[in-house]
Amino acid sequence: MAKRTFAYACSLTSLTAILVASVALPSLAPAQGRGPTDPGVRGGAAGAGNPITGLTAEEGAFFNAAKDVFEETETVADGLGPRFNLDSCVGCHAQPSSGGSSPPVNPQVAVATAQGAKNTVPAFITANGPVREVRFVRNPDGSPDGGVHALFVTTGRSDAPGCNITQPNFAAAVAANNAVFRIPTPTFGLGLVEAVTDTALQASMAANSQQKRALGISGRFNRNGNDGTITRFGWKAQNKSLLIFSGEAYNVEMGVTNELFPQEREENTGCATNALPESPTPVVPNDLAATSPAAGFQSDAVLFAAFMRLLAPPTPAGATPAVAAAAAPSSTSTSSTSTVVASASSVLPAAAGTTSTAATSSSTSATTSTVARGQQVFTNIGCSACHTRSLTSGKSSTAALTNVTFQPYSDFAVHDMGDGLADGVSQGAAGGREFRTAPLWGVGQRIFFMHDGRTKDLNVAIAQHASRGSEANQVVQNYNALAATDRQAVLNFLRSL
Amino acid sequence: MRRLLQIGAVASVTAVLAVVLAWRYGETLLPFAVTSAAPDPQDGKVAGGVYTNAYFDLSYPLPRGFGEGLAGPDPSDSGYYVLGNFVPQAAPSGTILVTAQDTFFAGPHRDVAVAAKEFRESISQVEGMSIDREPAEMTIGNRLAWRIDFSGVGLYRAMVSAEMRCHLVSITFTAPDPQARETLASSLNHVSLAAGRDPPVCIRNYAAGDQLIRKVAPTDMAPSPMPIPARIIIGSDGAVRHVHVIRATEGQRKTIEQALRQWTFKPHTVNGRAVEVETGLALRSGGAITSID
Repeated sequence: MAKRTFAYACSLTSLTAILVASVALPSLAPAQGRGPTDPGVRGGAAGAGNPITGLTAEEGAFFNAAKDVFEETETVADGLGPRFNLDSCVGCHAQPSSGGSSPPVNPQVAVATAQGAKNTVPAFITANGPVREVRFVRNPDGSPDGGVHALFVTTGRSDAPGCNITQPNFAAAVAANNAVFRIPTPTFGLGLVEAVTDTALQASMAANSQQKRALGISGRFNRNGNDGTITRFGWKAQNKSLLIFSGEAYNVEMGVTNELFPQEREENTGCATNALPESPTPVVPNDLAATSPAAGFQSDAVLFAAFMRLLAPPTPAGATPAVAAAAAPSSTSTSSTSTVVASASSVLPAAAGTTSTAATSSSTSATTSTVARGQQVFTNIGCSACHTRSLTSGKSSTAALTNVTFQPYSDFAVHDMGDGLADGVSQGAAGGREFRTAPLWGVGQRIFFMHDGRTKDLNVAIAQHASRGSEANQVVQNYNALAATDRQAVLNFLRSL
Repeated sequence: MRRLLQIGAVASVTAVLAVVLAWRYGETLLPFAVTSAAPDPQDGKVAGGVYTNAYFDLSYPLPRGFGEGLAGPDPSDSGYYVLGNFVPQAAPSGTILVTAQDTFFAGPHRDVAVAAKEFRESISQVEGMSIDREPAEMTIGNRLAWRIDFSGVGLYRAMVSAEMRCHLVSITFTAPDPQARETLASSLNHVSLAAGRDPPVCIRNYAAGDQLIRKVAPTDMAPSPMPIPARIIIGSDGAVRHVHVIRATEGQRKTIEQALRQWTFKPHTVNGRAVEVETGLALRSGGAITSID
């Protein structure tokens, strides 16, 4: 499966505008003293990557088989290309474990020349930078584009004889301010997100509408154009389901056609030589049947979706992983509500004041109390108006996903984030400045932030929420007006998630 | 001389007739009124340290040293506006946020007193928040308003809300200490709500009732999974004289405006006099009106 690079794009112009605005408006400047420091990526064991608690034996086996496929590397014979961004799902969704986000070493650099390929690595792809996909904002005639333009071609690869196509001119696109980027979104806990009813999402949105009124926040849901229901996956909440998400990424990111997206995006006959779709539903069980009989009959896209659906949510530091989720594997729902992730107020945070090198271990300098204080401040100044803490799933055909209260820290609505984050790409109802509230669960072990991975520093990420036209301006002003200790507490809290 | 007298007489009769017609049918019968551009809520501006908003007839001299901060987002699907974000141009001493919620699109109508009490209940449930001053009546520009003060994590806030043209206009002050909050809030003493002319009567769901005589559906409107909110001002003759599509793409906005300008209504009268009406409606593809209750 392909990486789902979620790109976000930001132009140098936009960044400059934000910097200028930050300097020009004293009220946005920190209130006192030196600014707080992002503790950096929380060390220790990965707080994510395991299946959700409460799966039946059959569901657990299905998860394991699906994980194997998620971690496979694709070749041209498997369907890779002719244009692609990477050759596996896990290559992009790797941090801190399979299913996550961009890893510390970008595998796109190596894949550019794998198997004899001669791809040029664009300047915005670096060895220690985020995995990225690129979208062009406009077509050459000025009409809206917004689509993904894959970075690499199979030309020159030993498994693609006869293919002779070239990469797009990314340097020209960047120079024309026409290239925008997105990085992979983490996929942990998404089965719970998928299992939330539209009614519950709307109720959650309405519950703090009064608080939003005092903060300049509105927001709205992106919706499917066919059935009108809320869409919730992707940086702009543009994807309706995990299955659609999987099928689209398989084709767009890896070039593997499937039953959801059965046509090649590049139909050059010298390159696109496989029968389509390249990943069909098997009618004879494949070797996955040894792990899970059901998995042996599934297409890759179905298995990718299953892996994401059954992944447990990230576990905050110090919390007990995935507790008490629908322990009974019965297919009948229970009337009670389970809780999947312990409160972050009980965690030991990462080290405050250290640099943000990956995997530095937590220290004792930041205490449980500062994390608890950080959570309180986070709520009080208005972050939680959008990064809503809790949701409860509805009745799911998977018992472990039924009636579970979990903490994604997102309302899954799209909000106007202003010129500073705008990518000029519209998807569904989400316009060029609108983005889904990024779920913050697991943010403690993420490396890159914002849709385009523009920063590794949470403090910068917070500042980037403010720009002309952003719904978050007042909240960022509130953050900047805090005492330095409280701003540090917020960062410690975030790194505890 | 005789010719001058004739001209003067005609002019006088015309003027009297115009006044009578204007009183009976409202000013939109007059050509200059028909062609005048009506302001929308987001059309406020700051000049000379004063925030003015022609739609609300609001004039607010900002505290000394305050100017415009970062502009807010475009109006929302639910008719929520960030009208202004005002910040000190020198040392940080607080912020002022002016917002408006179109009450046509915010669920069942509640008056400002109820809204203030609901806000109090909601905000009191925020972790670490204290209510410093219970909701209480006050006036801004001779208009009834409600104020509530609250604080938490070192930020001291006051919100003052008043109803204007079927919008709940709120001004939220955020300051680093209670005294600074009070200083900022006292700036409301200088607000004026001009009485240049009476605004249209605002009536909820007016376009969904029997008053609608002629309806023209927008043509070639791009599908939208969500209803598109709009406000219209209906002249005293029943013609639509102003359309404000609150949130839509440019293409949707254009076709909706073209269609709504062709709608006609029965004139609305108050005490026997035809008056202008302002109402909201939510449009779906094809021009169907969605109830906004």
